[in-house]
Amino acid sequence: MEVVKINGACKTFRVDRNEVKALNGIDLSINAGEFLAIVGPSGSGKSTLLNLIGCIERPTSGTILFEGSDVTRLSEDELAEIRSAKLGFIFQTFNLLPVLTVRENVEYPLHLRKTAKDERDKKTLAILKEVGLEAHASHKPSELSGGQRQRVAIARALVGAPSIVLADEPTANLDLKTGEDILKLMKELNRKHRTTFVFSTHDPKIMKLADRILELRDGEIAGKQCT
Amino acid sequence: MYLRLAFRNIFRNRLRSLITLAAIAFGCISLTIAGGFIEDTFDQMRESYIRSFLGHMQISKVGYFEKGAARPFDYMIDEPEKALGAIRSNPSVASATPRIEFSGLLSTGDTTISLIAQGVNPKWENEISTFVEIDAGENLSEGDAYSIVLGKGLAEALAAKPGDPLILVANTRSGAINALDVEAKGVFHTSSKAFDDRSIRIPIDTAQKLLQTKDIQTIAVLLDDTGKTDLVKGELETAFAHNGLDLEIKPWYEMADFYTKTVDLYRRQFFVLKLIIGIVVVLSVFNTMNMSILERVGEIGTLMALGTKRMGVISLFLLEGLILGVIGGIIGLVGGYLLASLISWVGIPMPPPPGATIYWTAKIKIVPSVLAFNFGLAVIASVVSSCYPALKASRLEIADALRHNI
Repeated sequence: MEVVKINGACKTFRVDRNEVKALNGIDLSINAGEFLAIVGPSGSGKSTLLNLIGCIERPTSGTILFEGSDVTRLSEDELAEIRSAKLGFIFQTFNLLPVLTVRENVEYPLHLRKTAKDERDKKTLAILKEVGLEAHASHKPSELSGGQRQRVAIARALVGAPSIVLADEPTANLDLKTGEDILKLMKELNRKHRTTFVFSTHDPKIMKLADRILELRDGEIAGKQCT
Repeated sequence: MYLRLAFRNIFRNRLRSLITLAAIAFGCISLTIAGGFIEDTFDQMRESYIRSFLGHMQISKVGYFEKGAARPFDYMIDEPEKALGAIRSNPSVASATPRIEFSGLLSTGDTTISLIAQGVNPKWENEISTFVEIDAGENLSEGDAYSIVLGKGLAEALAAKPGDPLILVANTRSGAINALDVEAKGVFHTSSKAFDDRSIRIPIDTAQKLLQTKDIQTIAVLLDDTGKTDLVKGELETAFAHNGLDLEIKPWYEMADFYTKTVDLYRRQFFVLKLIIGIVVVLSVFNTMNMSILERVGEIGTLMALGTKRMGVISLFLLEGLILGVIGGIIGLVGGYLLASLISWVGIPMPPPPGATIYWTAKIKIVPSVLAFNFGLAVIASVVSSCYPALKASRLEIADALRHNI
């Protein structure tokens, strides 16, 4: 089953007076349970493609079907609801909210979904246990190591059981060993929960864990052009 | 969750938040002190007018206040006892005293000066005119006849002192000229220099002999509470109608023209002060919020990427403004209350106000409605000044905002 289907997506940015094509005619299908790596050099459009899949940006042209529904014409609030209900995000810089504790960071997406407190507590503690941070639940992000922070981010991405988790270079700010551990954790959760993972990376060792590798060059997969 | 986030975000940059809270609290305290000072000034001024000569209300024959100045004897109360009985039966009336007012001449033999004379009942008048102070000699007392007390300015102009014989000349009710030998019993002053410069007080029986009448002109009424003026006015009007008394009532505020104009002027000045302090609070909170947004662009991007709607971001920043306003307002209220109490305890020595001769001690009056207004202003100014930063934060492009994290 396809979670995401992208048809001829192009994304153009205006920089000063010039138009820069970040993505150029992307066609892509992502299946449920897939562990997909998007690779390519800096500026190849990896982050932009993840933003399109994550309903953070809209394509300049083309369509994006999320679980069969076209999301390119949805309003800002409708896109926010999809991000909250069906997507999980893991960022290169972890992006935890510094004023909240580990537990509060993880349960934030459940607050957005207006999940009842009992269920919220249950899910938060379960996922913290899974990423091995139940003992750090009351710590602030500033009291954790880089690897621990990324584990919190993974827990936050997975706590709402999303259809797809998007990870933009999740290991770029971690040392090699920690990066591998994080990827292994993601892979394990992918296997266990059948959650779809799409992540971008430069690291060839990490690529090996992927079910499929999608290589981007100059915003294209297969040399298609925007119309 | 937004409340928790907002609360913790405020105290991320403690120094900046403390400065902002100090600005809000300072604004609140300033308004409490300035407002309390002005209210106390109004109170003291009002009470000095009421308790020097006006009373809370004056009652006269219908038409006296409008036309009585030209023909005072056409508007005399001819059943004073019945009128006084009706007035004194009202439980809120603390005292009521008959008066008769006339103009005349006062002479030492060498010097003659025109004056306004108030014929008063010494016993009851002393209950009402508690702000009249005797500078020399004694005040009128029950049983006095052919004695007068002179206003300070008038006594100085005549070079009269207690014990001096004087001649009081006035027109009788029928229009003839009559004169009485009187003795200066004392010299008084009130809060009004204009009153002291041309007034005497004389026992009403003596005044009635001089004017050859048994009637009175007005009844001055003192209540147990100034705030009941309008209520008692209505009750007395009903009582007069019930008793067939053709009387009208003029409350103190219609007679205290200088007071009402001063209050109006001060209130306008105070409005400008409120506006300035409000602007200071707005600018201070605006600056804090704007700085906060600049520092938290990446975080705002994260919140929105996780599914927070733009309205949620607006709510978060408005909540931060609200919390700042509430905390600053509470500090301001408590600080204002304590400072006001301290200043009131010490007292502020004040010179006589324009047209007055009495030095007085100002205090800071704690007025619950003023405190509530100050608190409301602090909160509203804080929330209003958060609106633009909140909108600005909610309009950030998520992808651009997320790049600030890197």
